[in-house]
Amino acid sequence: MGPILIVMENGASGFVDSSKELITKGREIAKNLEISSIAVGFGQDAESQLKNLPVDRVIAITNPELSQYHPLAYEKTLSEIVKKEEPYLTLVANTTMGMDLGAGVASSVSLPLIAYCNQVAIAGQEVVATSSVFAGKLMAEIVVPKSGAVLTVMPGAWSATEDSGSPQVDVLSVDIPPSMRILRTIEPEKSDVDITKADILISVGRGIEGPENLTLAEELAEAIGGVVSCSRPVVDAGWLPKSRQVGKSGQTVKPKLYMAFGISGAPEHQQGMKDADLIIAVNTDENASIMDIAHFGTTVDMLELMPALTERLRGE
Amino acid sequence: MIGQDILMVLTILMFLSATGYFVYRMLPIFRVMQKARSTNRLDNWPRRLSFMLGQVFGHKRLLRLRLSGILHFFIFSGFVVLMIDVITAIVQVFDPHITLDAPLAFVVDLWAVLVLIGILLAVYQRAVIKPERYHGSDERDGYIILAMIATIMIGIFLHESFYPFAAPYLFHVHPSLNPWGFVGYLLGHLWLSTHLASNPVVAESGYILGYLLDIGMVFAFLAYLPTSKHLHIFLAVPSIFLHKTRPHGELVPPLPEDEGMAIRTFTDVNWKDVLDLFTCTECGRCQAVCPAYAAGQPLSPKMVILELRDALRKELNGEDSVPLAGGVVKAEELWACTTCGACQEACPVFIEHVPKIAGLRAALLEDGEVDKNSQKVLVGWDRQGNSFGQPPRKRPAWTKALEAPIKDARKEAVDWLWFVGDFASYDPRLQELSRLVAQILQQAGIDFGILYEGEANAGNEALRLGEFGLFETLAQKNLKWLESAQYNQIFTTDPHSFNALRNEYRKFGFEKPVKHYTQAFLDLIEQGRLSPAPLRIRVTYHDPCYLGRWNRVLDAPRQLLERMGVELIEMPRHGANSFCCGAGGGRIWMEEVGIKERPADNRIREALSLNDVNYFVVACPKDMSMFSAAVQSTGSENRIKVVDVAELLAQAVGLSVPQSAVAIK
Amino acid sequence: MHIAVLMKSVPDLVEDIALDEHEGQILFDEMSYVPSEWDDQALEEALVIKEESGAEVTAVSIETQDSDNLLFTALAKGSDNAVKLVGDFDLSLTNRQRAQIFADYLHKQPFDLILSGVQAIDDVDGQIPGLVAGIMGWPHASVVTEVRVKDQGIILRQEYAGGLVAEIESSTPVVVGIQAARKPPRYASIAKVRQVAKSRQIEEVEVPLSNVPALTVRRFYKPVASAHAEMVDGDVEDVAARIAEILQERNLLRR
Ligand SMILES: Cc1cc2nc3c(=O)[nH]c(=O)nc-3n(C[C@H](O)[C@H](O)[C@H](O)COP(=O)(O)OP(=O)(O)OC[C@H]3O[C@@H](n4cnc5c(N)ncnc54)[C@H](O)[C@@H]3O)c2cc1C
Ligand code: SF4
Ligand code: SF4
Repeated sequence: MGPILIVMENGASGFVDSSKELITKGREIAKNLEISSIAVGFGQDAESQLKNLPVDRVIAITNPELSQYHPLAYEKTLSEIVKKEEPYLTLVANTTMGMDLGAGVASSVSLPLIAYCNQVAIAGQEVVATSSVFAGKLMAEIVVPKSGAVLTVMPGAWSATEDSGSPQVDVLSVDIPPSMRILRTIEPEKSDVDITKADILISVGRGIEGPENLTLAEELAEAIGGVVSCSRPVVDAGWLPKSRQVGKSGQTVKPKLYMAFGISGAPEHQQGMKDADLIIAVNTDENASIMDIAHFGTTVDMLELMPALTERLRGE
Repeated sequence: MIGQDILMVLTILMFLSATGYFVYRMLPIFRVMQKARSTNRLDNWPRRLSFMLGQVFGHKRLLRLRLSGILHFFIFSGFVVLMIDVITAIVQVFDPHITLDAPLAFVVDLWAVLVLIGILLAVYQRAVIKPERYHGSDERDGYIILAMIATIMIGIFLHESFYPFAAPYLFHVHPSLNPWGFVGYLLGHLWLSTHLASNPVVAESGYILGYLLDIGMVFAFLAYLPTSKHLHIFLAVPSIFLHKTRPHGELVPPLPEDEGMAIRTFTDVNWKDVLDLFTCTECGRCQAVCPAYAAGQPLSPKMVILELRDALRKELNGEDSVPLAGGVVKAEELWACTTCGACQEACPVFIEHVPKIAGLRAALLEDGEVDKNSQKVLVGWDRQGNSFGQPPRKRPAWTKALEAPIKDARKEAVDWLWFVGDFASYDPRLQELSRLVAQILQQAGIDFGILYEGEANAGNEALRLGEFGLFETLAQKNLKWLESAQYNQIFTTDPHSFNALRNEYRKFGFEKPVKHYTQAFLDLIEQGRLSPAPLRIRVTYHDPCYLGRWNRVLDAPRQLLERMGVELIEMPRHGANSFCCGAGGGRIWMEEVGIKERPADNRIREALSLNDVNYFVVACPKDMSMFSAAVQSTGSENRIKVVDVAELLAQAVGLSVPQSAVAIK
Repeated sequence: MHIAVLMKSVPDLVEDIALDEHEGQILFDEMSYVPSEWDDQALEEALVIKEESGAEVTAVSIETQDSDNLLFTALAKGSDNAVKLVGDFDLSLTNRQRAQIFADYLHKQPFDLILSGVQAIDDVDGQIPGLVAGIMGWPHASVVTEVRVKDQGIILRQEYAGGLVAEIESSTPVVVGIQAARKPPRYASIAKVRQVAKSRQIEEVEVPLSNVPALTVRRFYKPVASAHAEMVDGDVEDVAARIAEILQERNLLRR
């Protein structure tokens, strides 16, 4: 059985979290199956970043241009590596890079691909991957074929530990195909918040009582790394701009976490947020309809809970 | 003799050139009308005639706005009476023996004075009161016209008063000052006392000047008209005669095979639509009642008409044509319309704005341009037959919690077929109300049924968004069952479905009786099948546009309230002049951009201005959603409660009204 | 520039997915199908490119339940051609098989640019753009929000987590997975689709079904959903602690 190959993605500083998660889980699988683990990284700092990872071997592609993701060069290089190393599992996070690489590499080396993986279990000699498909309405349980497969894994599927190791380091540099060229990268504009793109929304409704309490929400949002959104009456009152409104006549959002503070959950509001992955509702009224679609609910006073939660999250 | 000859020739020349120019300017407009689509506006002419006379001589609509109505009545009647003067003045030039006799001379002078007062009032209104509705109208044109009319009046007095002194020289007759023409008489005495009368040159010039100011200006007026809003002087009366007599609530008449509803050029409208453009008086009454305009949206029904008219004028002047939908009338204007029909209701010359707006929308839609939220809804109607993006299977889900099941009208004959509608079926807050309605019917012992998942959205809003094809698809889906099921009448709580079933489905030959629940409930009370106990509360009632204005069901809800012992305090805008909640025409699904005050909020504030009214009664499921939200957003929960008539009736007949419905205590 | 837009229909999620819970298999024949929303985005971007710099757009779909409607809609929206790939196919085609079918057709065609939706709700074995590109050996990029023609090639914008965007120049031929077009997909009115269905033709091309690497889904199942929120009780501090814990469990906390 071939090794497990993990593709690392560069972030603003070091590897992104979703890649680190793959390392932790990949090592665990490798240990159970008694196979070796290889991590591949790209760019100027690849070697220095890879060399302390808790895997058996790392391959650093050190072309400085490849610090930034380059669809064609990454895919060609990775396909070569997969052909050579014949890994049993190739793991890549289901980010933009993963979506690009996963399907491209898998089909160019004629391996099957398992997309949107959020669970990998070992049952005897079988490796079973579970993917979430049909917009989360179905789970698919797939036995990884003995001949191997490429897996794109949902970010956040596992948690990462900060272990380190001293792997064997291979350094190489590759030819960058001229047919694709990165012209520039553009940072998102900070000023206008796009609530449809946020992973975490701290949403407030009329329970906020007045604009003076908005800072409580903003502080919480900051502590948790989210953005403040709201129901329509809050916009009507002029406390927040229209761009923050969730619902029928506002934005439709699908964040990983939607915390509804003092929102009753009118159908028009629900229409804009019911597909969020996790909904936590804070409403003094236990029978508010938001509770019908929330995963967790509590009836404590939001104005007390927000600072308490901020405190706690800051402390972590 | 020379003087008279010159005047005669001059008069003939002025007449010929003015009418010639008038015809020359009007011809292109009539050519456009010839190329436009046909519409039958000559049927049932006795009814049209009597309607026209009532509107023209009774000023029925105009008088709804008091000051404007009265002053227009002055000016209008002045025109009629002064025709007499114009004719005599001209005839006099040709045959000087003819003069106005006692009563007529009096009437002419009196009216001329009244017209001058009317003009003063009009100037006062324009310059001092400055009603908002004139915003966007051509102010210059308004003043030019007023000045012209004033000039004519002054001309009348001048030539009338100098006539006795000039006639001996000009016409060789010797009339005397006629005391019946009292203004001329007084002025004549003024000329006498100032010795102006005795100077032949002054007398002759005075008369000729007066004649020219009068008759000359009348001809100048005629020549000026085709480029002015005062074309309505000629077109208003025929336009009123040609008003729409098909069912009021029918947006699109049956279309021939090769015609769609989209309006791209002036050949896609009917000839009456073209006439409308030139009939508009720019009075702005439509704009003043428009909920979209009031909300600060970029729509004014007046401007839609004027923009179209100006575009047509430009085209006639040989300029390149601009696309009507999205170019001449901007997309934002078109999508802002709630199709409430308030504009048409207010227009004194019966211009039909809504079909034009919907037709222009249809053109945008064909080019794929539509607000993205409405697009979702259109797709939902196409795929699932409802606006909630829910499976058709779930449409009857609300019936499950009922003790007694509801008959499936697809499978067995029923007396009443209940067409439930999207909102009452799918909106969780309104489902409770639907169950109440079912219980009321059960208590009254009505044999009724619904179509279960066989029902689809009626298509009223799809049509008003300009999606005729989708409307047709939805109608066919419904008609499949509506035509095969056995029942005696249709019953619905939803005014939008009511309108579609009653007016729009006729194109497909569907003509079963349709009743709104307010009418049906009233019937039940009158038949003694329900006996409500008096509720003794004070309420106000909101007329839904598609019930009141478009279908004229105004009395049934009021009588129903009365039968329940409810005291009704009317809002200032009620009945056919009700103010739209802002939901119609697909607006309920659209993004709200640039709204200063939501129509529903505006309406709740109107209700709050009444004394001691704690209940806001609605008779439309969409109104329930719109106004409940408006009560929340205006923060007036403690002052007013939105209730549905069905809730009140349920209460009055002793049913237990669940807490979860917006019940009264 | 000649653009192909690869399109497919997917089960309409408004309805419940038809699942044989015992066997754990999807009953493909018992569902209704709608165009995949991302393919709509791809078509829109193609039409925007066409309007902006001139291009010939061909919508391509594999014959399944809804494909005629899909292709007529594409024509109504402004696509120049519509091609239906026919063969011995049914609704249970995997994406890998679809990619192979598309590739077999595309090989012989002179397309410069191939667009398709970045993903679809049913692409458990991979997304069409990457798969097609890999089979054909063409370069590709996914999660793209803008494509513009420049000289002989294109300039595209690829979007990463957090809104970071890279501008990439590429020569053609190239395959691009569209996340979102520059403007919302246009609407095709029913009347227009009907009219197109009467007046235009869909070209049919026969394509064989070849063997591709296959995945066996042992079973599909529905995740358990709760009908009502699980209530967190206690005083404010207890609740805050429990919520922090929930977030921790789900990896929602920044460390
Ligand atoms: C056509 C249309 C479109 C609409 N579009 C939208 C839209 O896009 N988005 C939208 O949000 N709404 C929309 N609405 C309005 C919607 O119907 C509701 O009015 C609105 O969502 C209610 O907002 P809310 O939940 O903040 O207020 P409320 O319904 O008043 O709820 C406030 C909640 O806060 C709770 N609360 C109060 N104090 C506290 C406290 N101290 N701690 C905890 N909980 C507390 C209360 O129990 C209550 O449940 C629309 C309505 C219509 C008719
Ligand atoms: S129908 Fe109503 S919203 Fe539309 S233009 Fe007329 S008044 Fe305004
Ligand atoms: S359309 Fe009618 S109401 Fe509106 S400005 Fe013209 S005449 Fe007046």
